[in-house]
Amino acid sequence: MIFSSLTFLFIFLPMTLLLYFIFPRKIKNIILLIASLIFYAWGEPIYILLMIFSSIVDYIHGMLIERYRDDGIKAKLAVISSVIINLSLLSFFKYSDFFILNINYLIGTSFDTLNLSLPIGISFYTFQTMSYTIDVYRGEAPVQRNPIALATYVTLFPQLIAGPIVRYQTVASQINNRKETIDKFAEGIKRFLIGLGKKVLLANNIGMLWSSVQNTPQNELTVVTAWLGIIAFSFQIYFDFSGYSDMAIGLGKMFGFDFLENFNYPYISKNITEFWRRWHISLGTWFKDYLYIPMGGNRVSKVKAYRNLFIVWFLTGLWHGASWNFVVWGLYFGIIIAIERVGFLKVLKRLGKPIGHFYAMFVVTVGWVFFVFDKLNEGIEYLKVMFGLNNVQFYNGQTFYYIINYGLLLIALIIFSTPFITKLHSKIMSKADGSLKILYENGVIIGFYFIILILTTAYLVDATYNPFLYFRF
Amino acid sequence: MKNSSNKIIIIMFIVFLLSVNILNIVIPDKEFSELENRVLSQIPKFQLNKLLSGQFTNKFEEYYVDQFSYREFWVGFKAKVEKLLNKTENNGIYFGENGYLFEDYESPGNKIKDNTEIINEFSGKHPDIATYFLLVPNSIKIYEEKLPLFASPYDQLDSIKVMKDKLNKSVEFIDVYETLMKNKDEYIYFKTDHHWTMRGAYYGYTALAKELGLNYYKMDSFNSRIVSKNFLGTYYSKAQDWSISSDSIEVFYPKFDIQYEVSYKDTNKSTNSLYESSHLEEKDKYSYFLDGNHALITINTSIKNGKKIAIFKDSYSHSFIPFLVNHYEEIHVIDLRYYNLSINDYLEKNNIKEVLFLYNVSTFSKDNNIRKINY
Repeated sequence: MIFSSLTFLFIFLPMTLLLYFIFPRKIKNIILLIASLIFYAWGEPIYILLMIFSSIVDYIHGMLIERYRDDGIKAKLAVISSVIINLSLLSFFKYSDFFILNINYLIGTSFDTLNLSLPIGISFYTFQTMSYTIDVYRGEAPVQRNPIALATYVTLFPQLIAGPIVRYQTVASQINNRKETIDKFAEGIKRFLIGLGKKVLLANNIGMLWSSVQNTPQNELTVVTAWLGIIAFSFQIYFDFSGYSDMAIGLGKMFGFDFLENFNYPYISKNITEFWRRWHISLGTWFKDYLYIPMGGNRVSKVKAYRNLFIVWFLTGLWHGASWNFVVWGLYFGIIIAIERVGFLKVLKRLGKPIGHFYAMFVVTVGWVFFVFDKLNEGIEYLKVMFGLNNVQFYNGQTFYYIINYGLLLIALIIFSTPFITKLHSKIMSKADGSLKILYENGVIIGFYFIILILTTAYLVDATYNPFLYFRF
Repeated sequence: MKNSSNKIIIIMFIVFLLSVNILNIVIPDKEFSELENRVLSQIPKFQLNKLLSGQFTNKFEEYYVDQFSYREFWVGFKAKVEKLLNKTENNGIYFGENGYLFEDYESPGNKIKDNTEIINEFSGKHPDIATYFLLVPNSIKIYEEKLPLFASPYDQLDSIKVMKDKLNKSVEFIDVYETLMKNKDEYIYFKTDHHWTMRGAYYGYTALAKELGLNYYKMDSFNSRIVSKNFLGTYYSKAQDWSISSDSIEVFYPKFDIQYEVSYKDTNKSTNSLYESSHLEEKDKYSYFLDGNHALITINTSIKNGKKIAIFKDSYSHSFIPFLVNHYEEIHVIDLRYYNLSINDYLEKNNIKEVLFLYNVSTFSKDNNIRKINY
């Protein structure tokens, strides 16, 4: 199931909330577990077995690590076994076809691909479950003796299929002890609606511009249209992904959880090092905590430090998808971050914020070209159009058509990419007082969220609207 | 202070979700959506194997969204918002000037070429049959100056030219583009629907008649009458722009004396009228002409000249046939989308020596059924 669907919003969510709040504390985790399993099974029931398998394996490994706490080698074996099982699951379902195709290409064999459908969210939950055993092994979180509680963590539906990657140590205590309050519940609703609006109203709509540009034959594109297209995609992926994280965090709050933030206005960054501290924070933290630092980070010889850096960025790229373009995309950022580390960061600081910001956005936007085209040569052709190397026009009527149709939306997207609205809100809250403040809080704010709710419903219904021009046709 | 605002938001959220659900439950499920012109999904029967394969949940999802209460309101509301955002299209329909709606026309790829090959093959197999092809442009081409600023759909003239160049000389190609352009100041296309009006069809008929050397009836040989003033067609259904005003439907009746015997073969109904006025009470009022889509219709007229013609067509022909019918003793109207028997046998059995293909550019650019012509 996905959050941005009518069935989730109007049936699944209210039912789950109702059951969750009428049952006593002891049963609440079971309710969440069952709801999460239904949520996961909704589209592809078969893979629910994978989730259950994953939960059992992690439970057993956690217990083994605890039991052999004093026997270093056995505990280590247990944590290694857990990591191997999780990575094998991920590799088998996500990367086996990629592997087979590359083997075929390299040594001329012709093995058939498996064509497995990817279990939803496997990249996210395998990383989460690895964090559990590793955290327990390192003593950064207590072992979870209650299998239901652990299964609740593994399957927790708010962040199950698109993150954030919630490391076990950050929620360990909340699983057994958390407090649902009215204020937190209201915060959760607000956060959820912000995310829903980002996804349904902003990401989906600017996505139409990108898909229209993407479907234009490349010899009919123009330089400006190509830039508009990839800028549209940049907004689409940010509002889609961060919207999803917002919804997850909001839903978590409704059930009393506090998840860490996953995005922090990445598009206001002034360099790429900063961008990656603001973009998909939970993934960056995961790689840092469980891979980069254990490999020695940058507290080793220079050669090893850069080796570590490139391993991390190679894997960050590969994590995003089983295809070489993602690896290129990851290494592209690895190279730029290395350059920034060598001394370019200082140069950027001297050049000033506007130039830094322009540079960062340029690098990120160009990077999305590698990300969005599965086939590297298509991406390179697109880049050629963007830089006027393909003998295309600079702009044409179609370019203006896009600007007229999407201009207002693009302006809104720029504003929502910055903390402008949030700052305005806190300013009003600190300056206004008395009845003006009440009017603002109970009128403007409530109205704002109500409008999001109404608009998303309208857009969700419209997406299912399917008039037939010819009956029975 | 903070608490009261938080309570209101919780109440707002819960009341909204609940009231929509209550409406969904209270309002009875519908069988058919007139607006969308399609059968709606019904509540699926629970079966364990379907649940396990994921089919049940899919069907349930379809059912829930199809029966979502006040769908029209939500869809229309979204269209309003799109207009506020300065959008000049919604759901693939352009908002043109003067209340004209146009469906976007995209590049047909190889479809036109492929379909033309099929016609050529047909003509090659039947050297004894005189074959004509009438390809009608859509309103988006005739009224392209009314398109929103900078909108640039694929040029239908390109598609028409591709067909013209590709078509064997043995097939008579009737180019109606010039004729329609000359008369575009008249009401020849619906503003809210994908069809031409009967007036537009009349000009199509004169172009055909000139090409075939028929002595066509002048406009003053007919009485015209407006049979409906509130026709909101398929473009309207898609775009859902509430501010658009409705079309009227004009019908031409011959002043001269002629009788028709119309048989709808697929439903075994016979009548002596070319029109079915019950449809004027429905959403899809264009079905007034020849009762909408039928696999096979035969029309016998009181003109005993022995001439017979078969028409392979889309729905643009429905308002056109009432003019052509006045020149033939027998007309066989076949819709290849629904007719699945051998065309060869049919033409032979009925000894038909004249065949007309009538399609609009948009349908012909997507049609997958023309190949049945060679079965």
